[in-house]
Amino acid sequence: MFHRFPTALVVAGLGLAALAPAAFAQTATGNAAAGKEKNSMCIGCHGIVGYRTAYPEVYPVPMIGGQQAAYIISALKEYKSGARWHPSMRAIADSLSEQDIADLAAYFSQVKR
Amino acid sequence: MSAALRSLMALALGLALSQAALAGGNAEAGKAKAAQVCAACHSADGTKPTSPEYPVLAGQYDEYLVRALSDYKSGKRKNPIMNGFAATLSPQEIEDVAAWFSSQPKTSLYTPHEAEIR
Repeated sequence: MFHRFPTALVVAGLGLAALAPAAFAQTATGNAAAGKEKNSMCIGCHGIVGYRTAYPEVYPVPMIGGQQAAYIISALKEYKSGARWHPSMRAIADSLSEQDIADLAAYFSQVKR
Repeated sequence: MSAALRSLMALALGLALSQAALAGGNAEAGKAKAAQVCAACHSADGTKPTSPEYPVLAGQYDEYLVRALSDYKSGKRKNPIMNGFAATLSPQEIEDVAAWFSSQPKTSLYTPHEAEIR
């Protein structure tokens, strides 16, 4: 009986350890080199220091170099689904496949300064 | 330099300084607020979020952070977690936490190839 609780913990820990590689594998499918080839529609705004878009209203463009890949993926998916507002970003994200999104996220999370 | 020109310059400087004081929030007040509201997920200085899903905030543009939080508060931007937290912040507190995170060292976030573009 004494061993029961620790055993449950160990089993839970093993379960988590088994899940962890799967979680990493999901972001690891992004290919930064491939993302670099697809970034031309991004850098016109995100490559300019302090840039603000003017249409349809002034919007401060965030810095995305060094941002976490999983966050970039969820942001692009939100734009793609229409859950997040911005006409340009929605149109751009709509043109991206799941693979494109993963590649761009990998690229911007690792791109050099 | 004439006295008139000097006083004109002093006036211009005074206006510029008061403008700077008006714009944006108080980073120290933001630090205290962020410790209560933001730090559990984004970390105290915004450099090390607790999940890969959460964005790094350290060094992000002040104006972008204000915009994001305001949009979460109004519901224009939807996220079950952030809508709840932003709802608890006043417009001044939004300015303050944005001032705090944007003033953290820009070691985490940057414009890609900034060095080459500049």
